[in-house]
Amino acid sequence: MKKIGRNKYSMKEPIYITGAGIVSAIGLNKAEVLDSLRQHRTGIAPLQYLQSEHTELPVGEVKLSNEKMKSILQISESIPPTRTSLMGIMAIKEALNEANIVPSSTQCIGFVSGTTVGGMDMTEQHYLDFFEKNDFDHFITSHDCGACTQTIADYFGHFSYVTSVSTACSSAANAIILGAELIESGELDIVIVGGSESLTKYHLNGFNTLMILDHEQCRPFDATRSGLNLGEGAAYLILEKASSAKRRKAKAIGTLSGYGNACDAFHQTASSENGEGAFRAMIKAVQSAGLQMNDIQYINAHGTGTINNDISESIAIKRLFGDILPPISSTKSYTGHTTSASGSIEAVICLLAMTYQFLPTNLNWKYPMPEGITPNMHDYSNTELKHVLCNSFGFGGNDSSLLLSKPMNE
Amino acid sequence: MKRQRVYIQAAAQISIQSPLNEDWMGNPIQYEKPFIRSTEPNFRDFISPIEARRIGRLQKRALTTSLTAIHQSKIEHPDAIITGTGLGCIENTELFLKDMCNEGEHLLKPTPFIQSTHNTISSLIAIYTQTYSYNVTYSHRNISFECALYDAILQFRLQKINSALVGSHDELTPSWYKLLKKVGYLGSPSAEASVSFMLTCEQKNSWCELGGIKILHQPSIEILKLSLKKLLADNELNLSDIDAVITGINGSLTTDLPTIQVCKQLFGQKPLLHYKHLFGDSYSASGLGLYSATCCLKYQFVPNILYYVETKNQICNPRNIVFFGQSDYKDYSLILLKSSCGK
Repeated sequence: MKKIGRNKYSMKEPIYITGAGIVSAIGLNKAEVLDSLRQHRTGIAPLQYLQSEHTELPVGEVKLSNEKMKSILQISESIPPTRTSLMGIMAIKEALNEANIVPSSTQCIGFVSGTTVGGMDMTEQHYLDFFEKNDFDHFITSHDCGACTQTIADYFGHFSYVTSVSTACSSAANAIILGAELIESGELDIVIVGGSESLTKYHLNGFNTLMILDHEQCRPFDATRSGLNLGEGAAYLILEKASSAKRRKAKAIGTLSGYGNACDAFHQTASSENGEGAFRAMIKAVQSAGLQMNDIQYINAHGTGTINNDISESIAIKRLFGDILPPISSTKSYTGHTTSASGSIEAVICLLAMTYQFLPTNLNWKYPMPEGITPNMHDYSNTELKHVLCNSFGFGGNDSSLLLSKPMNE
Repeated sequence: MKRQRVYIQAAAQISIQSPLNEDWMGNPIQYEKPFIRSTEPNFRDFISPIEARRIGRLQKRALTTSLTAIHQSKIEHPDAIITGTGLGCIENTELFLKDMCNEGEHLLKPTPFIQSTHNTISSLIAIYTQTYSYNVTYSHRNISFECALYDAILQFRLQKINSALVGSHDELTPSWYKLLKKVGYLGSPSAEASVSFMLTCEQKNSWCELGGIKILHQPSIEILKLSLKKLLADNELNLSDIDAVITGINGSLTTDLPTIQVCKQLFGQKPLLHYKHLFGDSYSASGLGLYSATCCLKYQFVPNILYYVETKNQICNPRNIVFFGQSDYKDYSLILLKSSCGK
């Protein structure tokens, strides 16, 4: 086991998580997601909302149409926001509500959102129309990542800094990291961080051409795994400086005690054999928290279910933890791979695990893979979950890891 | 805690001006056309032919400006690689999209998809230079570059890094140009931009000092004024120390007027510099705006072509220049550049 000394960041003021919200294939809020996790109920199912020719591919869709989301959010405009924005708004509402924050002009609140497909769901429906007609021009302006974030920001109003992170499947994790930096550097006291990503034909087909989509339910870390199932969703956390939370008498539901970002510097779509980027991201996360490897009681793995990721991640985890591994699971077997949103969706799952003291299981696992980790299959944890690692790795080797902790008793 | 000072140690651009040099300061190329694509250097001088065949045009430009900045600064493995891009790799995005819309979903090829994700730019630089450090991409309309720069500055201030390669990269296809034109985006000329900066803590041989950055969402004029004051105070400066303001006016009076008015309110009668008439407008134009100001401080003169209003009182030996940017009149950025030449 690798020994790590405490470093200079361990004395910093803690960053509390004072609220969290989630929209995913296994539930439209935290209570529903918790119930699905406890009942081992997957959200991966045949295509229902996305209009694609690939009906053979199972996906983790959020079980609501755009129209239904609009009516829930009481958005009446004739110009519909993109699905990415709609899901984002839903998740942020839950998070703000829990943190007891109503954005107003008197507060300085930051908003950092991760997305990659942005408004592509509408662009792909109307791309040819754009050149022939004028009826869909508003979707030209809602195409880019920034536009989707802007739409969400406009719904709430009163944010003092708004930006979009786009690092493919680690976008939300990197949004969380930027939020932490904004707080540590004293720029802001409260930052809404996370990501949102709708399913699109564009990336469903993109992943399909790479032949990394499983035609069955995905089986992360299983010897027979043959790819991922795409999912969609949104999740956001309210990061808050501890002193600000205390001043507001807001309760912490968790602490962001560390984080790491590294680049695998290997290939645009494949992970390196020894999982260098993943290894570096995890070690930075643990180090920045001033913790040791044996302080970690659970790892929510990136665990996509592709041949390449799961072996590379297994090797990285073993390099770091040696022979004594904490329980590990991939909850993508429930939600599908929610790409840019996965970092925050899985962070919320980690928070639920610590709040309710259970281990999220890894569905569909049967056969151990050579050199692979054996994922956790039981809810019950025999040790208290205090510190968990949450991994998000993206195309281009954009690897990030978050270290989330149970709030300290005061 | 002592404030970590940050310097621009190198800068390189590929744009509609002569690439990878500062010829534009003496011999600016002026265009009549509304949409111009970048003038490219011979990529083979920088990138191996095998790699060059594999990657898209925007990636070639980004890699070339990055390698140039790496070479100039002699920093092979920066502690951070951070990119801002508004549209990402739109050429490959459209290739994949067009095929999907025209041919359906069963005959698609993976390459355009692989090369279409926004973060391929930052990760390509990391892969090519074998740099494992912090690597992030921001995509937030016209302030994508400022967001990237802001992240770098935060990390310098937190003493997490000693160097950062920060880039601003956007390409524009004729078809996407048509669409943006149709919805009234981008001024004239519309163009493309690739610019890379190497930031370090070393003053020696630097082009200038990066005094600080503020990015504000829907600020009132009072908040903007306060932020400017704070930015200057952090650097022990007053408004009277500012020699000029450089801003992204885009050539259309209706959209330029509000920016000019805000500039007047913030900076009074300070000389106004502009750059989009030279470099064109794009989601990454702000990177070229900052680059222009960086050049003025490095070479200690402001070329005539940059003055928004012709003046007889030209600035000699500029000391401090503020960059002022905006996106959709919602997000505003203020960046302070200071001369790092001796007094």
